[in-house]
Amino acid sequence: MSFSHWMLILVLALAAFAIRVLGLIAGDAIRSSRFAWVLDDLPGLIIVSLVASSLAGETIGTWLAAAIALLIAHVTRSVILTMCAGVAAYGGMV
Amino acid sequence: MRYGAIAMLPLAAGAAVYGFAFGLLAAQIGFPWWGVTLMSGLVHAGSSQIVAVEHFAETFAVMGAALAGAALNLRYIGIIATLSEILSGLSLRMKLLTIHIAGDENWALMMAERAKNPEIGAGFLIGSGLVMFSTWTTSTTLGAIAGATLPNLERFGLGFAFTAAFIAMARGLWRGPANLAPWAASFFITICSVSLGVPKAYAIIIGAVCGLGLSRVIRNRKRRAA
Repeated sequence: MSFSHWMLILVLALAAFAIRVLGLIAGDAIRSSRFAWVLDDLPGLIIVSLVASSLAGETIGTWLAAAIALLIAHVTRSVILTMCAGVAAYGGMV
Repeated sequence: MRYGAIAMLPLAAGAAVYGFAFGLLAAQIGFPWWGVTLMSGLVHAGSSQIVAVEHFAETFAVMGAALAGAALNLRYIGIIATLSEILSGLSLRMKLLTIHIAGDENWALMMAERAKNPEIGAGFLIGSGLVMFSTWTTSTTLGAIAGATLPNLERFGLGFAFTAAFIAMARGLWRGPANLAPWAASFFITICSVSLGVPKAYAIIIGAVCGLGLSRVIRNRKRRAA
């Protein structure tokens, strides 16, 4: 494991725990502040941007597989089923 | 505590599949199995780990990957804040342990059970949290062991498995039509940025920040109209 692998684990662990402790100490104050909307909005926007970055420049087959995954996610709301259907669709298209 | 642990088992089975897939991915980008165990034990946040590792796989930039992963975990400020009443009787050490093992699944289950029976509280959360914590560390480790012996899984669509997982997570975070414009803006701006040659790590941040800005403008306008 290289230095950057170690750093990724340690930085991510520190950040994740710091966020939990922040919730314990100041969660209620932050949730009633004028920045509460950032907590609500940011996770969804990051996920959407991640999906966009993995689809950018990909073939039409990949986009179709993503559309199928979106449909399955919409109907089932299950991460596991969406992963299985998405990979099956991707395997069929690409 | 035991009731919480038993009630958690069906959800834990789902998390195990997801954890196994994460372990496969992490092994492919050079994490040894014990490194994955260490990460799952210390971080204990599935979606953050996946986002950070996926990001790291493409860029090998530690800070960018950790920030993307951590930003996804911001929701825990809200999740932990809702626990303040339940945790109030515990010692500081138990509080810190409980918030570390609290995850989306066992938190949601505890809240749902508590709505039916107010007796349910910290014991249930700790019991179910221990089940989730051991499931997550074990399944990710097993995935990493399997991943190290397999050839390049990218060819079999492993990368796409996580794109699909992100699509499902986005569905879970969808809060209604108010999300549409900011989400669409983030999506198209990220696509455009990547097409213009911006590295993906930055394109994601540019996309998310633009979406945040648009969301802010819409919220202000709504407040003024109201």
